[in-house]
Amino acid sequence: METYLWITSVWGVYLTAIVFFGGMGWRIYEWSTTPKSAVRLGMFPKPKSGAGRFAKLLGDTFIAPQSAKIEPTMWTFAFAFHLAALGAFVGHGRLIKEFPVLPEMLGEAGMNTFAAWTGSIAGIVMLAGVLFWIARRTYGPFKNLSVPEDYLLLFLLLGVVVMGDHMRFVYGGTIHAGVYRDWFMSVLTFKPAFPSELLSSNVSVSLGTHMLFADLFLMYFPFSKLVHSIGAFSSNLVRSSE
Amino acid sequence: MDSQQLTTLTGVIDKKMNRQLKQYMDICARCAICKDACHQYVGTGDFKYLPARRAELIRQIYKKYFTKSGEFVPALYEARDPDDNLLDELYDSAYACTGCRRCMYYCPFSIDTAWILSVAKAILIAAGRGNEMLGQLADAAIFKGDNAEMFNDVMISGFEDIQEEVREITGNPNSRIPVNKEGADILYVALAGAHTIRPAAVIFEEAGENWTISMFEAANYGFFYGDTDKARLITKRYIDEAKRLGVKEIVVPECGHAYRVAEMFYEAWSKEPMPFKISHILEKVDEYIKSGRITVEKGLIEGKVTYHDPCQIGRNGGIFEQPRDIVKAVTDDFVDLIPNRQEQWCCGGGGGIVAMDEFKETRLASGSKKVEQLRASGASVLACPCENCRLQIEELNEMHGLGLQVWQVIDLVVAAMPLKGKKPVHV
Amino acid sequence: MSDETNIDLELDLKGLLCPLPMVKVSQNIGKVPVGGVIRAVATDPGAMADIPAWAKSTGNEVLQAEKEGGEFVFLVKRVK
Repeated sequence: METYLWITSVWGVYLTAIVFFGGMGWRIYEWSTTPKSAVRLGMFPKPKSGAGRFAKLLGDTFIAPQSAKIEPTMWTFAFAFHLAALGAFVGHGRLIKEFPVLPEMLGEAGMNTFAAWTGSIAGIVMLAGVLFWIARRTYGPFKNLSVPEDYLLLFLLLGVVVMGDHMRFVYGGTIHAGVYRDWFMSVLTFKPAFPSELLSSNVSVSLGTHMLFADLFLMYFPFSKLVHSIGAFSSNLVRSSE
Repeated sequence: MDSQQLTTLTGVIDKKMNRQLKQYMDICARCAICKDACHQYVGTGDFKYLPARRAELIRQIYKKYFTKSGEFVPALYEARDPDDNLLDELYDSAYACTGCRRCMYYCPFSIDTAWILSVAKAILIAAGRGNEMLGQLADAAIFKGDNAEMFNDVMISGFEDIQEEVREITGNPNSRIPVNKEGADILYVALAGAHTIRPAAVIFEEAGENWTISMFEAANYGFFYGDTDKARLITKRYIDEAKRLGVKEIVVPECGHAYRVAEMFYEAWSKEPMPFKISHILEKVDEYIKSGRITVEKGLIEGKVTYHDPCQIGRNGGIFEQPRDIVKAVTDDFVDLIPNRQEQWCCGGGGGIVAMDEFKETRLASGSKKVEQLRASGASVLACPCENCRLQIEELNEMHGLGLQVWQVIDLVVAAMPLKGKKPVHV
Repeated sequence: MSDETNIDLELDLKGLLCPLPMVKVSQNIGKVPVGGVIRAVATDPGAMADIPAWAKSTGNEVLQAEKEGGEFVFLVKRVK
């Protein structure tokens, strides 16, 4: 089991970091070095001032009010998923450093309970989002439009979320952030090691598998449609451009 | 497939490549939110008209020839060659699209499918599969530009006939259609049809405008065809004319794409700044009414009036309020369609589709939302400032027995003007 | 001239607004054999420039384009 962890949760992390940041950097480089469209592609109505257009860009990207209007169900799941993913991302910050303020207010046990609640909610919402998207791609025009990339990404995402939830719901009461932090900080400081609590428990399987999916997901990220996470800002800005 | 052909077709994408196209190719999540935005998909239920699917055909080529991941694992993206099967499907997707950009409006990433399809059309043209009818219409327009002297007498005699009709309407024997007038403030570029000249001339003359008529028409089938060189040449005809006459402003008629072509596209095509102010005729008419240069009276138009936003003027041109203000100046009985303005349904007649017989069935089916909207409005008069929209809506009107009168906005204005002459017959 | 020419197809384009008369002639030219003639009657004066321009750019021939009362009568020969 230790080998599996070393592959997925140490060397895999390093490889993923290289591929992910390299890939995203390369993607941004490619976009920024390709000349802008000479034709004006903006649409109306659009704010007259630059600040107004910037505000509209943020609204269009983070809220997508037009999409909400035309397909509220899809929008609800998508919005909830992205919000939960953001929450999960922030929550994973505990792997680096305990949050400020909150633990003092809640106490250590209170903090763990809080994390359990928020993490559980985020985990469930993300799972619901992924399952909704998978279901949606199994019929009608959605199925016809889908390509293997779509299913691959959903499969990897499902793996990440299910194994994350597994750690949260099965081991959440016994193994807390501090243990994972020891491992993660050791990787970040290039002195990789696994705390004994991890190795002595079956949580290592969950962590290893969670990391396996996360590694694959993030390595594929820059080469997939998921680059909408950065590209949407630029394309939504064009919508309101001159 | 033949490697020469492949090089040619991928070369087209390479030539058309820009940041926006690249991002549109890279970021689409195939979420299909655009599905219910497209009048053609909604009206026909045909998968090939789903906006993301239309764009996906170009993406399949892009993935295979412009990305490493698609080159190594084409199956992941269903990436493929631009072979006959793909081109067949691309033809329907691209030429049926009316370019309304309603899908872009609802897309969470604002992906401009119509723009992607302009690349599709360039590919089809390079493959010798451009739409023949649109190509012929574009060539005829360019021929007129290259041989202007050949048509001079015919055009002038046509304008003289219309001038007589204008005088009958205004009751003023001095009303004119000025031709080739140097030093005019405005060059009015109408469509080929007399109906776009007659009411405009009445309004310009009554407003005391210093104007002159163009020898060319504002319609641009090169744009619909998808050949930017042809499109540029067609628009250049009247830009050169405007330079020669030394006008200050070019006014385009009640036509959707003519406005967008002049205002949004020509600079990019010609690579030079547009030396003239471009106005839509309804912007001018709105000014004339508000400044009192022309007088309109309420009560002369009978029935409830509604207004359809042509996509190229509204969502893609930004003219929403002026036409409404004009209509409200001639009647108290105005009702808006729902939804309206930027959310307005495309009627299904744009993009040159009315000239392409092969898409007739699709076109008529795609009008279903417009028919619903018109019925629900309870209006008996529709004001609509786009030729293609009017042709489509008149056909829908007849087919569905809507009992609507479909008017140009400037015809409504002339009908509401207290003129000494005889009332024009509404066409 | 129209008296001597054999007409293969008559097109009533009255009431159609330009460029539709040109579109209709173009759509129908394939229905007559090479050398065949379409007689088209339009009411929009724009057709007087449109149809000859279309014929020139597509390599067909307008044998006649004349104003008769309020109508415009065209004889268009399919050349290829």
